[in-house]
Amino acid sequence: MDINKIKADALVVGGGIAGMQSALDLADQGYQVVLVEKDPSIGGKMIQLSKVFPTLDCCSCITTPKMSAVANHANIQTLTYCEVQSIDNADGHFVAQILKKPRYVDEDDCTGCRQCEYVCPIDVPSVFDLNMTARRAIRVPFSTAVPQLAVLDIENCILCGKCARACPADAVDFTQTAYEIELEVDAIVLATGFETTPIDAKKEYGAGNLHNVIDGLMMERLLAPTGPYARVLRPGDGKEPESIAYVQCAGSRDETLGVEYCSRVCCMYAIKQAMLIAGALPMADITLYYMDIRAFGKGYDQFYQNAQAMGIEFVKGKVAKITEDENQNPVVRVELIDEGQVVERTHDMIVLSVGMVPQYNPGSVYSVGVGEYGFIKSPAPNISSTETNRSGIFATGAATAPMDIVDSIASASAAASGAAAHLEAVQGGN
Amino acid sequence: MGTRIEPGLLYELKKYGAVGVEKCFNCGNCTAICPLTSDNYAFPRNMIRMVQIGNKEQLSQSLDPWLCYYCGDCSATCPREAEPGETMMAARRWLTAQYDWTGLASKFYTSKAWEFGSMILLGLLVVVIVALFSGPMVTEQVELNTFAPIHIVHLADWIMAGILLVFVGGNILKMYLSVMQPGKGPSIPLSVYIFEAWKPIYHGLLQKQWDVCVEEDVDNKELSQERIARITHLLLVSGYGLMLVLIIFFLQWFQTDNIYPFYHPQRWLGYYATVVLLWGAGYALWGRMKKEIQAHRFSHASDWIFPVLLLMVTLTGILQHIFRYLGMPLPTYYTYVLHLAFTAPMLILEVPFGKWAHLYYRPLAIYFQAVKEKAKEYKEAPAGALASAE
Repeated sequence: MDINKIKADALVVGGGIAGMQSALDLADQGYQVVLVEKDPSIGGKMIQLSKVFPTLDCCSCITTPKMSAVANHANIQTLTYCEVQSIDNADGHFVAQILKKPRYVDEDDCTGCRQCEYVCPIDVPSVFDLNMTARRAIRVPFSTAVPQLAVLDIENCILCGKCARACPADAVDFTQTAYEIELEVDAIVLATGFETTPIDAKKEYGAGNLHNVIDGLMMERLLAPTGPYARVLRPGDGKEPESIAYVQCAGSRDETLGVEYCSRVCCMYAIKQAMLIAGALPMADITLYYMDIRAFGKGYDQFYQNAQAMGIEFVKGKVAKITEDENQNPVVRVELIDEGQVVERTHDMIVLSVGMVPQYNPGSVYSVGVGEYGFIKSPAPNISSTETNRSGIFATGAATAPMDIVDSIASASAAASGAAAHLEAVQGGN
Repeated sequence: MGTRIEPGLLYELKKYGAVGVEKCFNCGNCTAICPLTSDNYAFPRNMIRMVQIGNKEQLSQSLDPWLCYYCGDCSATCPREAEPGETMMAARRWLTAQYDWTGLASKFYTSKAWEFGSMILLGLLVVVIVALFSGPMVTEQVELNTFAPIHIVHLADWIMAGILLVFVGGNILKMYLSVMQPGKGPSIPLSVYIFEAWKPIYHGLLQKQWDVCVEEDVDNKELSQERIARITHLLLVSGYGLMLVLIIFFLQWFQTDNIYPFYHPQRWLGYYATVVLLWGAGYALWGRMKKEIQAHRFSHASDWIFPVLLLMVTLTGILQHIFRYLGMPLPTYYTYVLHLAFTAPMLILEVPFGKWAHLYYRPLAIYFQAVKEKAKEYKEAPAGALASAE
C-alpha cells in the first residue's frame, strides 16, 4: 500500500481550539479523523494566550491537555506542517491533496531533546512571541508544542551542520523535500481561524512605528507564564510601565480599515488583561479608552464591573491619534465624550485592542462561499450555523465569524455534530 | 428653560448638502483629530450631535462651522465614514441661509432652478441695462469710454455697492443677534469689542488659523496638499482684494482707452491679480473634478458656481484687455459686456447669499468667538481672585 495515501472519515483543517475540539468530538464517536495543521505544532492562537475570560483560567492549562488528547487519540491522525492543496470529488468522496512541508528533521527519530536548538548559532525574531524575542533557526516551536519535534527554518539556516553533529538521534536531514499525501474522506470541517488586524494599519496610531505601542496579542505574550520576558515590560526600552492604556476598537468598527464589524472579543480581552496587569504591576495605572463596552456573554458584565471595582479607569472616547514624546512615551489625543473636551494624555505604554479578520480564504481550494468580510458563510446561519454551501463541508470557529474561545468550542462541537450526521447519511451507518 | 427639538433638522441639513450624518455613533474621533480643537471650542462632533437630535436653536447660534478650514482629517479618519467635514460645510450653508434676512439664500441653496435662474436673469439684466444706457460703438478704433462712459459705470458701481451694503449689513446684524444674543446673559463691555477689533481684519486677510491645520496635517510633508490649498487660498484672497481696491479707487485705470507702459501699476498689478485668480479658480475646479483631497470629494452646486463665476469674470477680463490692446473695437465691447454680466451676479448673489459670504462671516466668527472668550475671562477673573484669597 502506498504510504502517501490515507483513507479516513473526516478531515479537520486547522489545529486551533476549534479544530481540535471538532476532531476530538468526531473521534470520540468512533470516526477516523485526520487533522491538518499548517504550522509545526497544533494549538493555534489559544496556546499563545495568557488566561481566558471571564474565569481567568490559565490558557495553557486548558489547551495543552487538549493538544495531548488530539495527539494521542487512537482515531486521530495529526498532520502538522501540512497544507491542503486541492479538494476533488471522486465517487462521492472528497479527495484532498495535502502538501507535507519538510522539517529537515526526521519525525520518527527526533525526540525533542533540543540539543540542536542549543548549538544553533542563528537567532531570528520569534513569530510565536510576536517578534519580542528571538528563536533559533532550528528549534522546537515552543515549550509545550505538540508534537515535540524540532523544525529547521531553511530560509535562515547557514548549513553549518552544528545541529546535525549535536543530534544524539541523528535526526537532522538537510536533504528532506516536500511530498504530497492523498487523503480520501467523506466530510470536511474547516477551522482555519483568524488573524488580528495589523498593528500598522492606522497611520493615526503611528503605523506601527511607535516604540511602546503594542497590540493585544503581544500583551497576551507579555502576560503569559511562558512569555518573552516572564513579566510585563515595555518593549521600547525594557522599562516597567507605570501607566498602561488600552485603545479599544483599534482594528474593528472602523470603515477606514474595511472592518466595520465588532470583533466581539476585544472588550473582554482588554478587561481581562487589565485585571492581570493590575495583579502583575499593582502600582500601575490602567486606563481603557472605549466607544462602548460590549460585555455580552454569560458572566461578562459581572467581569466588567469587577474590573471597575478594581480601580481600572474606563474613559468613553475613541482615541483619534497616538504620538510619542521625547522619552518614547505614547501620547493619546481623545475627546472625553462625557465632558465634551479634548485632552492629550501621556502613558508609558499603549495596547491597541486589535480586532479579528479571517486568516485564510478557502474559496479557491474548497469552493465554499465567503461573506462580505471574508469569513466563511453559512447559507442558513440561524438554522445550521456550521454548514457551508457545499454538502459535506462544515466550518467552525473564528473562520466563520469573530468569536471568543467559549463560542468557538460550542461552534466546534456543532460542526462535529453536523459532520457526524453527514457521515451517517453518506456511509449508511457502517 | 427647555430646548425645542426639531426632528426635521437632519432632513433640512441634507438639502444643504449634508451626507452621512445619521451614520455617526458619536465616538469623538473627529473632534480629537481636529487640529483646531482647543479648550474653547471642540468640533465637529458637537455639530453632528445638534443635527442628530434636532437642536436647531443651538446650531443657529453656533460659530463653529465658520472656524473650520476643512483640512478633511475628520472625514478621512472617521470610523463610520460619516463625513463630519461635510456636516460642517452643510452647516455653513445652512447658517448663511439663517443669517440672510431676505430668505433668498435658502432658495439658492436648496433649489438649482432658483440658483441658476437668478444668475442668468441678473446677467441678462446687466446686458439689457448696458443696451439701454450705453453710448455708441465706435468701430474705427477702440473707444471704450464712449461705449460705456465712466460716470455712468461709476454710478452703476455705487448703486451695486449700495445694494450689497443693504444685503450684507442686514445679514451681519442678524448674525450678531443670533450669535451674541444681546440682552440675554451678562452684557459684554464695548471695550472688549474694540480691543478685539483687529482680529477679523488680520484673520480675514491672512487666514492665520489655517496654519494650525497645515502644521498638524496627518501626512505632514513639505508641500502637503493642505499647504497647497492654504497658499492657493491666500493668493486668491490677495488677488481679489487687490482687484477690489483697484476697481474702487482706480477705476479710471481700467475703464480707459489709454495704453499704459508695461511698468505702470495698472499693468503689473492687474496681471498679478489675474494670474492668481486664474490659478485659484482653476485649482478649485480641477480639484473638485479630480476629488483627490477630502475637501473636494463632495461638491454642492454652490461650490461649483463660485469658482466658475470667478473664472469667467477673469477670462472675460483678460479677453477684453487683449482685444483692446490689439485695437479690435467690437470684440472689446462685447467681452466688456460679458465681463459685466458675470461680475454682477458674482458680487450681488455670491457675496450676500452664496459661498463667497464666508469672506466676512468667517472673520466675524473669529471676532465674535474672541469677544466671547475675552468676556468669559473677565467674568471668571474676580471669581478666581476670590478663590485664591480664601
